[in-house]
Amino acid sequence: MALGNKALAVRTDLSFGDIIRERSGEDVHSCYYCQKCTAGCPTAFVMDYKPAQLLRMIQLGQRERVLSSTTIWMCIGCEACGTRCPNQIRLAPVMDVLRQMALDEDYAPETAVYSLHRSFLDSIRMWGRMHEVTMLAQFKTLELLKEYPVFFKGLLGDMKLGADLLLNGKLSFIPDRIKGVDEIRALYEEAAATSSREKESEVSG
Amino acid sequence: MGIPYFPGCTLSTNAKNYDRSARAVAKTLGLELEELPEWQCCGATFPLMLDDSMALIAPTRILYQAQQAGERVTTLCSICFNVLRRSQALLERDEEMLDRINWFTEQDYEGNVYVAHFLELLRDDLGWEEGPAPLAKHVKRPLTGLKAAPYYGCLLLRPYDEIGLDDPENPRILHDLLRALGAEPVDFPYNVECCGSYLMVKDPEVPETLSQEIVTSAGEHGADVVVTVCPLCQFNLDYPQRESAGTRTGSRIPVVYFTQLMAVALGLPEETWGFEDHYVDPKRLFAE
Ligand code: SF4
Ligand code: SF4
Repeated sequence: MALGNKALAVRTDLSFGDIIRERSGEDVHSCYYCQKCTAGCPTAFVMDYKPAQLLRMIQLGQRERVLSSTTIWMCIGCEACGTRCPNQIRLAPVMDVLRQMALDEDYAPETAVYSLHRSFLDSIRMWGRMHEVTMLAQFKTLELLKEYPVFFKGLLGDMKLGADLLLNGKLSFIPDRIKGVDEIRALYEEAAATSSREKESEVSG
Repeated sequence: MGIPYFPGCTLSTNAKNYDRSARAVAKTLGLELEELPEWQCCGATFPLMLDDSMALIAPTRILYQAQQAGERVTTLCSICFNVLRRSQALLERDEEMLDRINWFTEQDYEGNVYVAHFLELLRDDLGWEEGPAPLAKHVKRPLTGLKAAPYYGCLLLRPYDEIGLDDPENPRILHDLLRALGAEPVDFPYNVECCGSYLMVKDPEVPETLSQEIVTSAGEHGADVVVTVCPLCQFNLDYPQRESAGTRTGSRIPVVYFTQLMAVALGLPEETWGFEDHYVDPKRLFAE
């Protein structure tokens, strides 16, 4: 059974819900588990905890369980839940905050999804416009470094996907470098540096 | 003067047929799309954390580039539209953030560009059956008898308070467009469901499962074709049908952009339709 001694040993952190409310702007405390979000969530079937369950866990301060759940990486931000929740709770921003917290606190991210987010940003940084071939390659390299089995499983599928796209002339080979690309790269570097400085001063301050 | 247009990455690489058909119909309708002289990727996700301003840099740069070109900017990809429209809404209500990004990018974005989906231009500048220059009056080859299922997906409509394009649960804009083209819009329960988005990379089973539900449901309600506004939706619904197991009933249903149907109905030449890049060939629907 999933709920065994482990469930009893869950540590709680009662400030957890407040922090999430603060950073996401969503009042997670007002959820009364009507399950409407879960019922309409397109990816609930691949989440270990369903959206309404996650809300309850947040309220109870079950930080570790929440931050290590697959749920936070499987939410694709479709906003169906936020549109339907009787308490106007939007889970997309909540999940975004949780992903950031999970990364900051070194919880293992869902590698494939995390790599995609990374390679997206890297591709913009390098080329200005997103470029699918670069992106796919980077995505795969990141993935390879992290988890071999997933890489090989995924690669076969992607090669097929890539080949199909190529055959149909849907992928272009030469990234469209645009004017101002150096400027964009510099902006991202500066922004990253600023936000890590801010974080340090928050910690020490 | 044309309307400032932000194509976005996908329309200039993977979804050239969407871009091509849109430009052609826009021109015919006197709404010529004028690509921004300089632009970059919008970043593809709207920053949801209140303390994350980094992801606003890219969309704000685009809005600034649009400001040089006019008072509004139009786009077609649902993802770009969602990011730009919400960034604009955020910058409009949060002056401090606007100042911060302006300071950072050393630009002077005034925060006033209106981000319009191309569908909105059609609805508001032209009108469907009535209005300043109704679309229906331009139709040369009415799509009579074509049962078309409008599929809205998520990012075009949600979240409503920041997008406000149409009713998020019971949208009509694509229905109205299809009616103006002479087609018969088909209602089906999955029309605002999400296609699975980028989870293709994690586990193709997710979008394939969702796609199967969506396309099968459209078929069960009598659709000959599914009509979309988003390149990712188009791919996620079309690609799983490359093999016959794409729908539960085994029948394959073409998935097209609304602009492609418009190109057909407006009587534009076949090379503007862009039907060659599909897994399920839509051409048979329009054989003379
Ligand atoms: S829809 Fe809202 S109130 Fe209902 S369970 Fe989900 S978050 Fe809670
Ligand atoms: S926003 Fe996330 S949690 Fe909410 S319905 Fe969509 S995928 Fe599910």
